[in-house]
Amino acid sequence: MTGRDDSLDWALILAPYRRDAEYLRTLLAEHEVAVRQATGPDELAVRLTEAPGILVVTHEALNPAILNIIAEHLTNQPDWSEMPIIILLDRTARHPQIRAKLSATWPRSRQIYYQRPVAALELLSGVQSALLARLRQRDVRNHIEREVELRRELNHRVKNILASVTAIFGMTRRNVTSVDQLADDFSGRLTALSNVHSAVFDAGGETVDLADIIERTCLPYRSGGKDRIIAKGSSVHVGRDAGTTIALCLHELATNALKYGALSRPQGQVHLDWELLTDSEPVLTMRWIESGGPPVAQPSKPGYGTLYVRSALRGLFGSPPQIIFNSEGLRCIATGSFSRFR
Amino acid sequence: MNSICTSLRIFYLEDNPLIVFHVEALIEDLGHIFAGSAASFAELTSNLDISEIDGALIDIDLADGRTGPNAAAWLQERGIPGIFVTGQVEVAAEHPGLVIGTIEKPVCLEELASALGVLKRHLSSGLE
Repeated sequence: MTGRDDSLDWALILAPYRRDAEYLRTLLAEHEVAVRQATGPDELAVRLTEAPGILVVTHEALNPAILNIIAEHLTNQPDWSEMPIIILLDRTARHPQIRAKLSATWPRSRQIYYQRPVAALELLSGVQSALLARLRQRDVRNHIEREVELRRELNHRVKNILASVTAIFGMTRRNVTSVDQLADDFSGRLTALSNVHSAVFDAGGETVDLADIIERTCLPYRSGGKDRIIAKGSSVHVGRDAGTTIALCLHELATNALKYGALSRPQGQVHLDWELLTDSEPVLTMRWIESGGPPVAQPSKPGYGTLYVRSALRGLFGSPPQIIFNSEGLRCIATGSFSRFR
Repeated sequence: MNSICTSLRIFYLEDNPLIVFHVEALIEDLGHIFAGSAASFAELTSNLDISEIDGALIDIDLADGRTGPNAAAWLQERGIPGIFVTGQVEVAAEHPGLVIGTIEKPVCLEELASALGVLKRHLSSGLE
């Protein structure tokens, strides 16, 4: 059976004498080789566009019109293709001249010659090994197509990352007062972005465990074996983009806590927990709760961190997070449909 | 629609929150109003009140696939002009009738300013 039209696993037979055509068709069909036939030049041209695995031609078929059609098809083959052609010649034919002519006329083809009458078994094994060679070419083709696809995807990803970096830079620049602060804030954010990339890559697919993202993001805030950020939650797999947003938000919350909040004091702590409820529509809740830091007051003008966390979590959860400047410490609570995290 | 004399209310269809965050600030820098965002075509059609916006910036690839052109067509049917904002300008070029312009990512202030200028002129000419 043939599969897709580009499956390259069938034989095209070009044999003007009906008895030859019937004989070849029956022989190959009996051995489960799929066959299509062409009777004249027009039909040959059509069949060639259907991507045959191999071509079987008899001596009588080799007239100038047919030679040209085949030559044109071979010339236009993609780089990976080298079509096998089995040629059945009469015993009385001048074999060396015909071989020389065909190898000059038909570029990039594997030509296999038989002298008629040919034993069925011999012809069959020739056809089968030619089809096998053709399937190896098909593997190369599939490999090339996959590579082209990967390159396109990579280009897309790189553009997206550069757009993210441009956005981070543009926004960081607005919220700093010195070049040193710009350098520190910008490189911190880039590192957070890079950590998520590693987490997703190491996870080996398109999703990553939220626990892994949180672990990597909180790692710098673990000093002397003591966790300053106590993270607790079940294993929840999220998509690359959602993971990136969560990591960048946690980075902002953590650096803010280190500068002004709980992590600016030795006894200060952050409790971070998350929970996925799957009663009907899955709902994810994340809580960031600081304690033990200096008294907190609402800043007069929100900075990059607060603005970004608010904007990004609103997009991800579908509703704005609660950011509460509680006197015991900052709290950030986000809850919403899990659908956008996949 | 008296807002076209002064500020435009701009909606942004984009699934990367960082870019939304940045472009929101750029829109405000230019004296216009950021009228919200959506990450997918589905979210746009379920949440948007079109009487609240004058125009839309539209990414091609959204959270529900390559649905930017569908979103542009949907907005156009409702009389809201769109501008593609994309890293894939070649895809945008396949749909010239759906939008009044295209901005290539990453977005810079000058390009956004000129595209919103075109939008403003488009809206005033539509009123005559």
